[in-house]
Amino acid sequence: MPPTGLEPTRMNRKKGDKGFESPRPYKLTHQVVCINNINFQRKSVVGFVELTIFPTVTNLNRIKLNSKQCRIYRVRVNDLEAAFIYNDPTLEVCHNESKQRNLNYFSNAYAAAVSAVDPDAGNGELCIKVPSELWKHVDELKVLKIHINFSLDQPKGGLHFVVPSIEGSMAERGAHVFSCGYQNSTRFWFPCVDSYSELCTWKLEFTVDAAMVAVSNGDLVETVYTHDMRKKTFHYMLTIPTAASNISLAIGPFEILVDPYMHEVTHFCLPQLLPLLKHTTSYLHEVFEFYEEILTCRYPYSCFKTVFIDEAYVEVAAYASMSIFSTNLLHSAMIIDETPLTRRCLAQSLAQQFFGCFISRMSWSDEWVLKGISGYIYGLWMKKTFGVNEYRHWIKEELDRIVAYELKTGGVLLHPIFGGGKEKDNPASHLHFSIKHPHTLSWEYYTMFQCKAHLVMRLIENRISMEFMLQVFNKLLSLASTASSQKFQSHMWSQMLVSTSGFLKSISNVSGKDIQPLIKQWVDQSGVVKFYGSFAFNRKRNVLELEIKQDYTSPGTQKYVGPLKVTVQELDGSFNHTLQIEENSLKHDIPCHSKSRRNKKKKIPLMNGEEVDMDLSAMDADSPLLWIRIDPDMSVLRKVEFEQADFMWQYQLRYERDVVAQQESILALEKFPTPASRLALTDILEQEQCFYRVRMSACFCLAKIANSMVSTWTGPPAMKSLFTRMFCCKTCPNIVKTNNFMSFQSYFLQKTMPVAMALLRDVHNLCPKEVLTFILDLIKYNDNRKNKFSDNYYRAEMIDALANSVTPAVSVNNEVRTLDNLNPDVRLILEEITRFLNMEKLLPSYRHTITVSCLRAIRVLQKNGHVPSDPALFKSYAEYGHFVDIRIAALEAVVDYTKVDRSYEELQWLLNMIQTDPVPYVRHKILNMLTKNPPFTKNMESPLCNEALVDQLWKLMNSGTSHDWRLRCGAVDLYFTLFGLSRPSCLPLPELGLVLNLKEKKAVLNPTIIPEAIAGTQETTSNPGSHAQLVAFQNPFSNSQDEEEIDMDTVHDSQAFISHHLNMLERPSTPGLSKYRPTTSRSLTSQHSSGCDGTPSTKPQWSMELARKGTGKEQAPLEMSMHPVAAAPLSVFAKESASSKHSEHHHHHHHEHKKKKKKHKHKHKHKHKHDSKDKDKEPFAFSSPASGRSVRSPSLSD
Amino acid sequence: MVTCAPPPSEASENREERARAPPTPPRDYKSHRAPRSRTLRQGKMADTAAAAGAGGSGTRSGSKQSTNPADNYHLARRRTLQVVVSSLLTEAGFESAEKASVETLTEMLQSYISEIGRSAKSYCEHTARTQPTLSDIVVTLVEMGFNVDTLPAYAKRSQRMVITAPPVTNQPVTPKALTAGQNRPHPPHIPSHFPEFPDPHTYIKTPTYREPVSDYQVLREKAASQRRDVERALTRFMAKTGETQSLFKDDVSTFPLIAARPFTIPYLTALLPSELEMQQMEETDSSEQDEQTDTENLALHISTDDSGAEKENASVLQQAPSLPGSRNGEENVIDNPYLRPVKKPKIRRKKSLS
Repeated sequence: MPPTGLEPTRMNRKKGDKGFESPRPYKLTHQVVCINNINFQRKSVVGFVELTIFPTVTNLNRIKLNSKQCRIYRVRVNDLEAAFIYNDPTLEVCHNESKQRNLNYFSNAYAAAVSAVDPDAGNGELCIKVPSELWKHVDELKVLKIHINFSLDQPKGGLHFVVPSIEGSMAERGAHVFSCGYQNSTRFWFPCVDSYSELCTWKLEFTVDAAMVAVSNGDLVETVYTHDMRKKTFHYMLTIPTAASNISLAIGPFEILVDPYMHEVTHFCLPQLLPLLKHTTSYLHEVFEFYEEILTCRYPYSCFKTVFIDEAYVEVAAYASMSIFSTNLLHSAMIIDETPLTRRCLAQSLAQQFFGCFISRMSWSDEWVLKGISGYIYGLWMKKTFGVNEYRHWIKEELDRIVAYELKTGGVLLHPIFGGGKEKDNPASHLHFSIKHPHTLSWEYYTMFQCKAHLVMRLIENRISMEFMLQVFNKLLSLASTASSQKFQSHMWSQMLVSTSGFLKSISNVSGKDIQPLIKQWVDQSGVVKFYGSFAFNRKRNVLELEIKQDYTSPGTQKYVGPLKVTVQELDGSFNHTLQIEENSLKHDIPCHSKSRRNKKKKIPLMNGEEVDMDLSAMDADSPLLWIRIDPDMSVLRKVEFEQADFMWQYQLRYERDVVAQQESILALEKFPTPASRLALTDILEQEQCFYRVRMSACFCLAKIANSMVSTWTGPPAMKSLFTRMFCCKTCPNIVKTNNFMSFQSYFLQKTMPVAMALLRDVHNLCPKEVLTFILDLIKYNDNRKNKFSDNYYRAEMIDALANSVTPAVSVNNEVRTLDNLNPDVRLILEEITRFLNMEKLLPSYRHTITVSCLRAIRVLQKNGHVPSDPALFKSYAEYGHFVDIRIAALEAVVDYTKVDRSYEELQWLLNMIQTDPVPYVRHKILNMLTKNPPFTKNMESPLCNEALVDQLWKLMNSGTSHDWRLRCGAVDLYFTLFGLSRPSCLPLPELGLVLNLKEKKAVLNPTIIPEAIAGTQETTSNPGSHAQLVAFQNPFSNSQDEEEIDMDTVHDSQAFISHHLNMLERPSTPGLSKYRPTTSRSLTSQHSSGCDGTPSTKPQWSMELARKGTGKEQAPLEMSMHPVAAAPLSVFAKESASSKHSEHHHHHHHEHKKKKKKHKHKHKHKHKHDSKDKDKEPFAFSSPASGRSVRSPSLSD
Repeated sequence: MVTCAPPPSEASENREERARAPPTPPRDYKSHRAPRSRTLRQGKMADTAAAAGAGGSGTRSGSKQSTNPADNYHLARRRTLQVVVSSLLTEAGFESAEKASVETLTEMLQSYISEIGRSAKSYCEHTARTQPTLSDIVVTLVEMGFNVDTLPAYAKRSQRMVITAPPVTNQPVTPKALTAGQNRPHPPHIPSHFPEFPDPHTYIKTPTYREPVSDYQVLREKAASQRRDVERALTRFMAKTGETQSLFKDDVSTFPLIAARPFTIPYLTALLPSELEMQQMEETDSSEQDEQTDTENLALHISTDDSGAEKENASVLQQAPSLPGSRNGEENVIDNPYLRPVKKPKIRRKKSLS
């Protein structure tokens, strides 16, 4: 039952403390999505949507919705045919074949294009004109029902079809389809308001083959056969107001499993996988219990569904009351390694059910709150499930990741505020993409963003205590659930949206604490803190003189002022000190408690109250200090480089009980290759109580130390005797025991030790023969017959170990690698690899872990010159039809080959795959791998770097990837890595480097090839090609007569063209004559916008009125608002030299000139417009490009 | 009537035994033994006789010539039984009887007596004796439903006939099993009526000259290299018979790699690897059965413990598709919308859809 949405106006008009003001002049209350035909063979979908909206302004003439790649047949508003325009500026970002091809230009244009259709700014690709018959109806703010018939044919994004090409019906083949995408991508598969902030109730209907199941959001009300009984319709009802972006769908011949512990939870998987599904989901109810308990709130939806599908876009995608997982997360009870990973995924998705699906964000800049909270409670779950050690280890890992990323690429800003900021104040100016929209973000940046969000949430917890934190969450949830049950008061629904300010307010209400400085530091500001610490012990004063320096000038860093905890372990015990980090003080004196009293043999108390005996002989006789830790609780997002003596690190490793401290000391000990370090590491390795991950990293550190000490090393190779003692038979030490992986800790250690051992090198920098034989023996005697668990991961690691043992071949004058001159050791390795790889064909292992390791090992052999470098093998494994892990491993090898051998052919092959591969994840991954391991970089001379490649990549990001935000951003990343921000150096100087400088009244050759100059000049040059292409795409029923009238060549003309059509729209629409309006390059921009000077004309000019209402009270930006075409270059103008501005003037005049011409043509149609237009020629925004606001709201103009 | 010839199985057994017999058998044995060639022929004849018997036309040919002592013995006893049957018939007032019915009655009598003997032997052995006693026979008869009390009266009946004892024929000597070495005499503490020790070869350790491989190391070594050999042979075979890839351009045979072949449904082989299937089969053979029986019962009652809950559900799931209408009244059936039956279309429905 669609809510009636009583007085939604009040909510939008009133700027209450809820702070939410809808960017739209209407409120959506209910939406019906009905897909009545799905054709797997043709990969097509036919259906309709019906949106129930309430206008919130009188004079609502146009309704903007989001829709991409859908073919829209018919739009009716309250059963009256309505005219509409479908225009998507993101299809092709830069229309003019700009010769300069620089990323600055592109990124601005892309950001402008995205914001031109951004639902959070009230925009959309689909613009529907309300039929004039209903204007009166609208003025009374009465309900409108918009009915849209649409179809999708071979969608490239949004919906993904998986159709195996085998015999049988679609159900027998396991064909399925599911919705996917990055952030709000629902518009790819049905028209909607694709915003997280527009909530409504839903009715979803899917008619599918009788053998299939359609899983979607909300409650399955009923399933009904069609009349021929060959199909059935699934009716879903979602009564909790939900954003379109959280709507999802999965259809396939799924096997159904009702959760045995919670009957309202249903799991779905592809045929034959039911046993795995049973095992995999058997744990889920515990996660439910945990979250419900800590949040003291029931799971908000009445049901929950998990669907496991193939060719997943991401491993985990959470939607309202349903999560879509990769089928590759399924595993049986015999698999050790996958189990914790899968459980993590389940827990993650469930956390997002509460925060992300049920509670949704108000705007993009509030995203961090949701990601932060869901990540934070996920962390709490992890602490409970895997223990404190695992949790702290994870926090440290995440911290290290974000620190490394920010120091490398500059800061990550959680809460970007785009006030009236000028271009120079752009918080993300160091980045090659805009952070104003989720869809322009680099994928890596976004993952780091999520990582930082939950870390910051933890910092907030540190400040206000966990109890208050959970109270805040509970408050958010209970507010939201109260609001969600208000079926008929849709204005209440905005309480289900979370905003940064609302969140902070809750925190201060609940805790009474001021966390503003913390927020300012980590949320409103990007960057991390970099500490350098060193100390001296002043014996006379018995004082520790600690010096803490900061680096806050490097990119990605910021200055920290405030408290900092330092923990000092002395002979007398452990003491915490809180230092105040201030602007200028570097030195801090910390009084010590202990005098030198080591003669008295006494146990030393540790932080956790434990008292231990220590061998203190290594210590400095004068100092009571055992070790010092800076910020032990990780309560600052920081990197600490601290100097202390090697024996202190060793004490820290042995006796500090915190796993983070142990890990830090392991890292530090790499620099101290001494027998004492060796002993400390070996002791840790042997200590069963020690956290297994610490022991694992100790292995690698020990290998490094052994290599540094190679000339003085005594005894057998590092870890060998240890391994023998732990895992080999007592009677015959060269034979490993038959596998028994009941103890996971020792399993992980057993897996890791050989891998680390293989890194050992002798004086000739070769892997010692002894070690290689040892590993080969491990493989040979591996016996898993009695084991309860699969040993596939173990064997895979043994192959990794073999690969690690490979050292570069001694090359005699560049001979060709043949079998005859194969190193005997390598021959042994190769024999193992061959056998393993072949056995995999006959008896495959779980997830083909062994094939993956073999492929990697072969690449290592190739790279080291033992085997001829040849990508053919990898290319065959990279083909579609292999398991995705194998494909990725093979592709990684090809990427590496492309880099090492600089092969243009392979690069082309990869690029081709990026464009044509059926699996979106693989395409994304190739781009990602190419970016991480690029064939060349911007400052490098490379034969691969040529114009054709630039063209190709440009095309890829400009138009080739318009169906997948993530892919496009990936292409941008790659372009940036290869060519940098400015014009690729391999391009020849453009001939059009002439700039008309109006001030000096002469044309000059622009030596730096400023993009704007080109843009200016180019706009006068015609480029019919791109337009023609676009028109062909968008305008299947284009009216040739209309086109004849319009000169399509220039941007101005395209503007005129759009306005022309808008004018046509103003004519009363004829029912049945819905038109696909060809619109060119940019968003709908009309002359109305330029004509809008804030004085509404007497006659209800629908477009003008709409523009005014749409932007609310902000009149000023409206003046600035302009076409994104202009916006893109203009935004760059602001940064550029004055000379370029002149070309802009030129541009502007030209523009007006053309406009006049156009106007003349349509005079009879909209005479009333002319007065206003002429009036505001002067205030028109083009004259103030430097304000930088131009980009802000380019398409509010409508 | 085919009893004249030994059943074919017996004959072949004899043959086998003789074949295995040492060249110089014990003396006492020799006297009963037919020459080798004769026995063989005898065997053949028995075969043909059996075949003829099966054909329906029983033939007595060869019965007269039969000189096999065992046959003679059996024949004599059989003849006695026939006499007994005949006299009983006469006693009962029959004047004549068809041969077939006499034969049948003889057969029945023989079975009955044999059964008494067999059963009595079991009873006696049950009480750890070797010789049956009277009480064994009595128990046997009681067990067989015979009223023992009537027996004395019957034995003393007036019109009874006395039949002469059958001619004494040599009890056939059961061919002795191959003896290997001397049987051990009983040690003094074992009474002599106890059975003899079996042949020494059945319990005496045969000394071997090579130690069997029991060394753990060697065993592991052997197992490993055997597995490796098998794997290599198998993969090489596969590589030889199919398409291969090679790491070296100049040599395709030293390290042949079976060519990568894409799957139509790659996730199935990856998630349900055949490697694990084999391992699992060994382990879960029995447990699976348990589960099966469990599920049958569990559908009928609600299991409260955690471990049972899962199985309960499994059973419901299994039943759900087959019994879509079985929800009525059973409170334990899970109410999940996906388990509900699909509704039949209604006219009204169609309107709302279009």
